[in-house]
Amino acid sequence: MSARRQGWGPLAAGALPLAFLGVLFLYPVARLLLLSVEDGSLRAFERAAADALYLGVLLETLKLSLIVAAICLVLAYPAAYFLATASRGWAALGFACLLLPFWSSILVRTYAWTIVLGRNGVVNRLLLETGLIAEPLALLNNEAGVVVGMVHVLLPYMVFPIYAVMLRIDRDLAAAASGLGASPWRVFTRIYFPLTLPGAFAGSVLVFVIALGFFVTPAILGGGRVVTIGLLIEDQVRRFLDWPFAAALAALLLAAAFLIQGTFQRVLRGETRWH
Amino acid sequence: MPFRLWMALVCFAITVLLNATVKAQNEPPKPAEIVVNGSGGAQEAGSKKAFFEEFEKRTGIKVVATSPPNFAKLAAMVKAGSVEWTIAELDIEEAIRAEQMGLLEPIDDKIVDRSRFPGEARTRKYVFSRAVYSTVMGYRTDAWPAGRGPKDWKDFWDTAKFPGPRAMQNRPVDNLEFALLADGVAPDKLYPLDVERAYRSLDKIKKHVAVWWKTGAQSAQLLIDKEVVLGTAWNGRYFAAISKGAPIHVEWNQGSLKESAFVIPKGAKDAYWGQRLFAVMTEAKLQAVYANFATYPGLNLDSIQFTDPKIAPQLPTHPANLPRQFWQDARWWADNGAAMEERWAKWVIAK
Repeated sequence: MSARRQGWGPLAAGALPLAFLGVLFLYPVARLLLLSVEDGSLRAFERAAADALYLGVLLETLKLSLIVAAICLVLAYPAAYFLATASRGWAALGFACLLLPFWSSILVRTYAWTIVLGRNGVVNRLLLETGLIAEPLALLNNEAGVVVGMVHVLLPYMVFPIYAVMLRIDRDLAAAASGLGASPWRVFTRIYFPLTLPGAFAGSVLVFVIALGFFVTPAILGGGRVVTIGLLIEDQVRRFLDWPFAAALAALLLAAAFLIQGTFQRVLRGETRWH
Repeated sequence: MPFRLWMALVCFAITVLLNATVKAQNEPPKPAEIVVNGSGGAQEAGSKKAFFEEFEKRTGIKVVATSPPNFAKLAAMVKAGSVEWTIAELDIEEAIRAEQMGLLEPIDDKIVDRSRFPGEARTRKYVFSRAVYSTVMGYRTDAWPAGRGPKDWKDFWDTAKFPGPRAMQNRPVDNLEFALLADGVAPDKLYPLDVERAYRSLDKIKKHVAVWWKTGAQSAQLLIDKEVVLGTAWNGRYFAAISKGAPIHVEWNQGSLKESAFVIPKGAKDAYWGQRLFAVMTEAKLQAVYANFATYPGLNLDSIQFTDPKIAPQLPTHPANLPRQFWQDARWWADNGAAMEERWAKWVIAK
């Protein structure tokens, strides 16, 4: 009887969210994907594959997402370490710095970057007035601006998984290692860092996959010169009303996301087993 | 009062009453609101001031303004049989395409009096020409003093003589013409457009275009923010920026003139009240109110006499500006627009 209750309990708890996802997410996504083969042919996919341009955009998007994920990782690791080890007061301040922008609208944050990065923006004016540069740097309406904006938006998604893993690390391990004569650097590279890898992997996958579908930031900070697959899909839907083709591009994006997620997950599982 | 006068008055009153009831009987029921989908910005503010508020006062129907214009969405709504817009703005060539595709309700000339409109604007069966506008170049006066900057598209393309980042619209319309003019084609020899030559010319300017703008608001803001020193925009966008103090000079020479088009999508709810709004929008005095605000002159020839003489030189149709621009060939774009849009989308993302 009790086992039965245990058996039904989780299902009952999950029924509502599952129904929610099923009706409002899975069904529309399936419908969208079906659109790409609507007329019973793979014409939309053939078109995407035939033109090097579209695959080029997909590759560009992958590259952009990789750069963003890498920069996020480099920035987030020390930030997460700080949050996991700092005193309560400092950690609270750190969380505030991380979460306040996270809570504000992505549009507001993205437009704010145009004020900072523009030719007449804060950064360029500062550099010009101090005489460090003679001509304003091109920081906006190009890939650099898009990367900055995306890193800003996605950073918390990297910090939290790493932070969560760091919190769980048994500090006695490090104490034991140094007690056995390991230098702090050795303790870090041999004990601490490997233990944080699952968090770093999880954060990287999360950021990378979210970045793949990014739309608003490249649209605003890219000046029409940085084209991601998300922008291309929007163009097909809004401007050309070519839903089958847009659906084909979306399917390619989804496949890429699954492929990357799957590969990383396999690596990640290997990683945990290795311990 | 003499008996005859009494009788005349009574007859008059009865006629008026009868007329009113007959009219009321013929009129479809009044909705609480109708939706006009246009391009927002000063145009929307001007439309409210000139036409929408007047229409609300006369009929009691509220006009809800949405934006931006979207031809693909209009086509989708008509095909799906679920039209949200009573009236929609389109580029004139898109409107002609929509007409060819059977997506529009005809304009009811019994309600909409276009007798004082010139040329094709009077006779178009499905398209209401609401105003004339021009895509012109503008530059920051701290880059070049007013009048000493680029004077034509050859100059716009001349990055040695006029250095600095530029902005252009992320669409082929206008840009193909500008590219040909920059390459030496005479304004009266533009059509049919030599597309290959236009793209060869565009290839030369591409890396100097810092931003391909997508919205009208963006086009002027880029100059205000000093993001670019030279750009293209619809004349009213520059006017709005300049009247707020932006240091921008508008060069009318070789501007691209066209009509902006309003249509009623086929199957639109309350289409009758859309026609009635069009009727309001034909009135000369109201068109002048709109032109004074947005610098987009209406097509009613009588509206000129009501236009503020201080604003008149800012209108694309002013005698000093009109002959220096060219009329865009809406027919050419209606026939070739779809293919051109696709080619443009590829060109602009190609490295």
